Amino acid sequence: MLETRNLDKSFGAVHVTRGVSLKLERGERRVILGPNGAGKTTLFNLLVGELTPDSGSVHLAGENVTALPVARRARQGLSRSYQKNTLFDGLTVEENLGLAAAIHTGHATTLRRDSLARPEVREIVAEVANQVNLMPYLHARVSEVSYGVRRQLEVGVALATRPLVLLMDEPTSGVGPEMAKGFHDLLNNLPRDLTLLIIEHDMDLAFDVADTITVLNYGEVVFDGLPEAARGSTLLKEIYLGSWEDA
Amino acid sequence: MFRHTPLRYGALVLLASAALFQAFTAEYFGLEILTEIVILAMLVIALDMVAGFGGMVSLCHGALLGVGAYGYAILSTKLGLTPVVAMAGAVAIAGAVAWVIGAICARSHGIYFIMATLAFGQMGYSYVFEAPLFGGDDGLGGIARLDLSLIGLDLNDGRSFALFSLGVLAAIYGVAVLILRSGLGRSLSGVMHNEQRMRALGLTVWRVKADVFGLSGLISGLAGVMAAQHVMFVSPGLLSWTVSGEALVVVILGGLGTLVGPLLGAAVFVLLKHEVGALTSYWHLVVGILLIAVVMSRANGIFGWIEARFGARIERRAADAVRDIDPREVKTDA
Repeated sequence: MLETRNLDKSFGAVHVTRGVSLKLERGERRVILGPNGAGKTTLFNLLVGELTPDSGSVHLAGENVTALPVARRARQGLSRSYQKNTLFDGLTVEENLGLAAAIHTGHATTLRRDSLARPEVREIVAEVANQVNLMPYLHARVSEVSYGVRRQLEVGVALATRPLVLLMDEPTSGVGPEMAKGFHDLLNNLPRDLTLLIIEHDMDLAFDVADTITVLNYGEVVFDGLPEAARGSTLLKEIYLGSWEDA
Repeated sequence: MFRHTPLRYGALVLLASAALFQAFTAEYFGLEILTEIVILAMLVIALDMVAGFGGMVSLCHGALLGVGAYGYAILSTKLGLTPVVAMAGAVAIAGAVAWVIGAICARSHGIYFIMATLAFGQMGYSYVFEAPLFGGDDGLGGIARLDLSLIGLDLNDGRSFALFSLGVLAAIYGVAVLILRSGLGRSLSGVMHNEQRMRALGLTVWRVKADVFGLSGLISGLAGVMAAQHVMFVSPGLLSWTVSGEALVVVILGGLGTLVGPLLGAAVFVLLKHEVGALTSYWHLVVGILLIAVVMSRANGIFGWIEARFGARIERRAADAVRDIDPREVKTDA
């Protein structure tokens, strides 16, 4: 469903991504681990087209999308949520979801009617609001809801485009243990045919959700395999998992 | 996204009543001032659509007005088209020009967007100023008004023309509301709030900006056609950046992103110009002081200040009135 071949990216002398090759099957849930500065978010930016790779390619559903702009890739089914909330703060939760759903249903540029009044859009908004537990907050402005709810909305907005592949950049970043537990259920309840690629530092969530784990270090893939193998890897303990194992 | 509130409806009713009263009772100069306000109101609605609801602060809307005015002048006087066809043609040309400008400038933001639109506007001004086809700095005269004798309106009469202009303004306001409340208008609001996310969700952002800029250009062009018919003469001054600057002042003075505020701003601006201008030629100083006061007060223009002060109270009272009428609401609340 999503594949990268030898992705390379440098910023000046700093080599951020080095020959990254990944292959995600349809419905696969992969978690990317790695210490700060390992190139995880840069990899996401390369995947969605916010950055252009120096070399290598990105393939979505068998098509080379490396040259496509961000919006085209999104319309082809590649959606992402951000590590820092990137929402429409002055709008309500419902309007936030509605903007994404309108783009997916092709009503975002119509002059005939408000896109949020369209049944198809409302259906997606209701469904996604249920999936990410946002029904009680639909009519609240984003600026009025808690940080945790905004994190849920961050994922909800990405989901409302009905993606084939969803990239989630630290979905539980900054939320408390209770809310993080809620994210376990949220991710586990997503449709099984949705391909997920998740950057996450919460080890419990990572091992709970992941079918496979990829570890990046200094921009390189140093591990790619099953969660059980990741737990036993000495290399991983050295570069990343030590503190988790100790805990 | 634009929405009407009880206060906005109230302001619209008050403004429309005052305008109609003036249209039916005023003498020559009063009608001229009313028509001037109405035509400026058309332009500032167009500007508020892009600046207040899309974050695209344009300094070429004067030039777009000029394109409409000159388009109408050329099509009707030089090509001999009937006023209705010339009007439609001029509006279409202004819309097309605006779409191209919007498409080119869509990738720039903030001060760069302002400068790019200013450059387009000044290019248009310079070209019209120099080109013999457009009459150079002498302008073009002999422009006819629409012939609406079939419906019993003689637009050569100042009162009829003022009433006709008011009708056009009402239609423009209605169209602007429909655009801003459509799917396109909602997407524009999303782009203004967070352009990066809209792109990441799959929206072709430049296209949305260009489309709304083009629609805004259609309205500016129509304002230009009305301006040309009003004075029956066009000159390069119509395309000058000072016209765009004044329109921006009016939008900020009235209330950016309120659509109703700029209507109020147009009335305040033109009345100040004429009333204070009758006393002193330094009337711009008064407008400047007022603008500084509005900006320093951190209110969103005069109408924004009114909304901040009275809007919530009026909405509460309106909601109470609705509950009084509908007993089910009372039960629900209880």
